[in-house]
This record gives sequence, C-alpha cells and structure tokens, in this order.
Amino acid sequence: MEVQGLGKAFGPHRALEDVSLSVAAGEVVGIIGPSGSGKSTLLRCINHLEQPTSGRVLIDGVPIADPGGREPSAKELAALRRKVGMVFQSFNLFPHLTAVENVMLAQVKALGRPKQEARARALELLERVGIADKADSRPRRCSGGQQQRIAIARALALDPRVMLFDEPTSALDPELGLEVLGVMRELASDGMTMIVVTHEMHFAEEVADRIVFMADGRIVEEGPPRQVMRAPRHERTRRFLRAVLDR
Amino acid sequence: MTTAVLFAHWPDWIGDLSGGLLESVKLTAAISAVGLPLGLLLAMGSSLGPRPLRWLSIAVVEVARGVPALVVLYLVYFGLPQAHLTLEAFVAATIALGFTMAGYTAEIFRAGINAVPDGQREAARAVGLRRGQELLYVVLPQAVRIVIPPILGYVVLFFQATSLAFAVAIPELISRAYTIGSSTFEYLNVLILAALLYAAIAIPASQLVDWLERRRDRLA
Amino acid sequence: MSSVVDYLGPLSAGIGNTLLITFGAFGIGAAIGIPIALARSARWRPLRMLGVAYVELLRGIPPIAWLFIAFYGLAQLGIRVESMPAAVGGLGAISGAYMAEIYRAGLRAVPHGQFEAGRAVGLTESGLYRHVIVPQAIVTVFPPAMTYVIGLLKDSAIASVIGAQEITALALGEQQQSFAGLPIFLAAGIIYMAIGLPLGGISRWVDVRLTRRLADA
Repeated sequence: MEVQGLGKAFGPHRALEDVSLSVAAGEVVGIIGPSGSGKSTLLRCINHLEQPTSGRVLIDGVPIADPGGREPSAKELAALRRKVGMVFQSFNLFPHLTAVENVMLAQVKALGRPKQEARARALELLERVGIADKADSRPRRCSGGQQQRIAIARALALDPRVMLFDEPTSALDPELGLEVLGVMRELASDGMTMIVVTHEMHFAEEVADRIVFMADGRIVEEGPPRQVMRAPRHERTRRFLRAVLDR
Repeated sequence: MTTAVLFAHWPDWIGDLSGGLLESVKLTAAISAVGLPLGLLLAMGSSLGPRPLRWLSIAVVEVARGVPALVVLYLVYFGLPQAHLTLEAFVAATIALGFTMAGYTAEIFRAGINAVPDGQREAARAVGLRRGQELLYVVLPQAVRIVIPPILGYVVLFFQATSLAFAVAIPELISRAYTIGSSTFEYLNVLILAALLYAAIAIPASQLVDWLERRRDRLA
Repeated sequence: MSSVVDYLGPLSAGIGNTLLITFGAFGIGAAIGIPIALARSARWRPLRMLGVAYVELLRGIPPIAWLFIAFYGLAQLGIRVESMPAAVGGLGAISGAYMAEIYRAGLRAVPHGQFEAGRAVGLTESGLYRHVIVPQAIVTVFPPAMTYVIGLLKDSAIASVIGAQEITALALGEQQQSFAGLPIFLAAGIIYMAIGLPLGGISRWVDVRLTRRLADA
C-alpha cells in the first residue's frame, strides 16, 4: 500500500501536509505523535472517510482515487473500503445487531456472501479473537475490550489487504486494553498488514516493524522502533517521547 | 389565473383580514391567560399534590389532551346552554381552548418541575423554608426558566388553533376570509392571503422559540 | 332528555371515516416526509430552501386554512375535490412537514461513528441506511411519530368543517336536530378517548419493545 503526497485541509487549517508512506505486505507500521498531529486524519484519508484535498492512495498499485481528478463514485468507495479494514477508537459497533450479526452484515450486504458462509466465517473470527461465547450478545452486553475485539473481527471478515487501527485501546481500561493488544499482536505475527495509530509506546516498540512519528500534519521521522524510540534524530520527536515516557 | 388576478383584490381585503388577525391575537391572549395558569395548577396538582388531587389532575389532563379541541369547543358552546349557562362565542372559545391548552402545557410544566434537581428542594428545606416557600422561591423560578421555550411553542400553536373559533362564528381571521370567499367566490385568493397572514406571525414566532430553546440549552 | 349513551351508537358510525382520515393522512405524511427530510438537509442550497419553506409553511398555517384551500380554493380553479380526499390530502400534506422533522431528529440521534463504521466496512450508501442507520433511527422516530398519529386523530375533527362525515360532523348533525349538545359532544369526546387511549397504550408497548431490542441481548 502506498500513500503519495496526501494533504487534507479543513478550511484554513491544514490537518495533513504532503504525507507519503509506503507499507509493504505483512508490515506493521506504528504511528505515534501528539494529539492533533494528523494521525487519525491520515487513517481516515486512507480509506476516504475524509476526502483528501491532495495526493493519492494506492493499494496493490491501483489508485483509490485521484483527488486531482474526479471524486470516486460511491460504488468505487465501497469497493475500496472492503480492501481496508478499520478499527475505531470508540468501536462503533452496530448496537441493534448481535456480535455475530455485526461481523456478518458487511459480508452479506457488501460482499454478497451467502448467509450460511458469512455466519461460519463470523463465528470462526469471533473464536479467533477469543469471544465465541458472546456471539449472540448485543454490544451493550459486552465489556469495552470485548466490543473492540468484535470490531476487529468485523473488519477482518472482509479479508482486507490492510488493517487500520485508530487508537484502538485509548477508550479502554488498561486491563481491557491488554486483551485487544493481545489480539493485535497475534494478527501481526500472522502476517497481516497493519497501520496502528497508538499511544501505547511499549506495544508500538514491540510489535511494529517501523515507527512513524507525526507532528503538525507531517511525518517528522520514521524508522525501526528501536531507533525512533531510543535514539530519535529530531528534537520534536525527543520532546514528545520525553513527555510521554516521563508520565 | 394569472398572478396579477391572484393579487388583484388583496388591497381591498387586507383591512378586513387584519381586523380578523387582531381578533385571533386577542383570542390567543385570552386563551393563554386561562390555559397557562390552569396548566401550571394541574402540573402542581399532579406532581406535588396529595393523592386524590393527583389522580384528579391527571384525569383532567388526560381528558383535555384526549378530546379534540373542536369537540370541547362545541361542548362548551352548544352543550352548556343546556345546563342553563349560555356563553358568548368569544368566552366559550376562551374557556374551551384554554382548557385544551392547560392539558398540553400541564405536561410541560410537570416536566419542568421534575427537572429541578431534588438537591434544590433539600437545600431549600435545609435553610428553613416552608413547603410553600420552597415551591414559590426555589422550585418554580427554576422550572419556569426551563419551560419558557416549549410553553411559548404552545402559545404559537394555539394562535393557529384560534382558527377553530370559525366554527362558532367568531370574526377572527379565517372566518373573515371564508366570508369574503363565499361572497366573491374568490376563495383561493383570499384564503392564500389569510394563510400568509397566519404564517407571517407563526413562522417568525416559532423561529424565536427555537432560538430561545437553543440559547437556554447553551446556558444550561 | 336523552343521555350520553344514546348517542354513542349513532356517532360511532363516524369512526370509520375518522380513522380513514387519521391513518390516511399519516400514511401520506410518513411517505412524503422522507423526500422532504432529504431536501431539508440537502447540500444544494435551493433544494434545501425548498424543503425549509415546505416545512415552515405547512406548519405555520392552521390546518383549517389548508383544508379550506384544498376544498374551496381548488374548486375555484375548477378542481373539485370531495371532502374526504380533501381532508386526507390536506392533513397528509401537513403531516409530511411534521414527519420530515421527526425523521431528521431520528437521523441526528444516530452517532456519527455509525455512519463511519458502516462506510468503513464497505456498505454502499443505500445499504448503510437500510441496515445500519434506519434500524437505529426508528427507535427515536417511533415515539414522536405515534404522538403525532394521536394528534392527527384529534385534528381529524377539523375535517368536519369541510363536511367530511366523521365523528364530529355526525355530532354536529345530531346537535342541529335535537339541540342536546351536552350529551352529544360528551359522547363524541368519549369516543375519541376510547380510540386515543388504547392507541397511546399500544405505542408505549411497542416503544418499550423497540428500546429493549436495542439495549439487550
């Protein structure tokens, strides 16, 4: 997957400026940085939940859309988003559906899988994230950690080429966050391509193949976790890490 | 029919219709003068009163909200004379629509009273206020502030409901439009003018209510 | 002097038309409310203004004026509409404005994240609304919609002024024959409450079930 010169402006405010990033198959990229640095906006632009104002995103060499050209049609967008799984900070599970129905919905309605097959796949995924016993519960009956794991299963169900995680544990108690990080760790070791925006520095250092540090809508520096976190080259990165690690 | 024809007689009618509009506004004021205090009383009765009074208040509210205003109006205007109580049309409409308004606004007042936190009442008692004082000086002032926008919303709604007084021949706006229509057969033209006169009051008034509501929510 | 009970039977003959006006108007309003709500929140300004104008005018002018326009006004243009269709159509047009606002409030009550999550899993816009947004919005839409139906039941009495033979018109007819206004209109009131109270009960029951469906396993 490749991000080329992505920019996003909200009125006069430039949330992203000329961000380029290429992610190899099976790679895990951790994105860190202060709040308001554009990390979430980057993820949301990658699957076009926000329309980027410049630049483009390619998956398997195919551009999702050229902002310079026309806006992608609703159909193209839907097709694109099936290749990109997204996990939100606030889970955003569908409250009117049970866990297994949450995981089935897009399989049936977006991919056109037969219900039986979708259900089998959904149960398999819930098993994989360790909450098969909650399959018939509605989200409100699940803990935050369980909800986030359902959300991960929901995203995996479409067999995405890449998974985006937008601060998946920051709405969770530390203990429940561990459940989620455990699932993500397994996904990474299974070879899933992942981009993870996170505040969990230890997790990022341990699991990511590469760390990207962002500030003020730009990538300040990137490199292997050890180097970025232990020996950052930029003053801005150093300042951020000091603030975070001192806490 | 061209636009010119549609507007042709508007200048001739506007005077008569304005008189009707004034009558509608007067009726609205009279209805509110009856309906709002009665609504507040019913609300206090149904949320603060002793049990029998509570049930009675709830029953009155249910009837006022459950029976069409027009039926209540007919009941007062045509029914009460049977009980040897003949009322002028304006008085009958004031009583009937005021009763209906009381039913609707009682629910609003009640919600307002319930929205005042219990802590306020406890605090009032803690500083030694008697029950009546607690209500008058602590609960009601806060409740009233909460309910002003929706209550005004009902005033706007009942301004429109004054058109029901057509049924008992009060010369308010829609009656006059109808009378002009039936003598000139230019129903459409005169009805549109009357409709616009209603809208000219009701739309800005309800925008004002929305604004008050937003402001209240912002300040809260 | 005849009593209230004597009039319940004759007036009940109007129940059919009262219900026809109530639910006919509601059906029209529920249907046209959707495009009006969409217009009301459209991105294209002229369309949005049109939606706003519709909602404001239909709600800002009394129902009686709309029914007169539909019945007497259109007749002036050579369009003769019978009293029942005029009542159903007129009140239906008004219902469209109120329902549009109810739908809009329902949509606003669905958290933004639900739209994002639906899009992120690759649903098309229509799939998003059908499977994710509407099932949730319906919980917010239902109670005010039912309150509105009960309001329409009472507004249907206004149809009597253009001669629709519903409960109130029949009561007025009896009154003109016997001048026994007191029992006649009491009977009419009782009939309206006998329809409205169960309607309110049913709506509360459905509301509880809908809410529970969303909350529980």
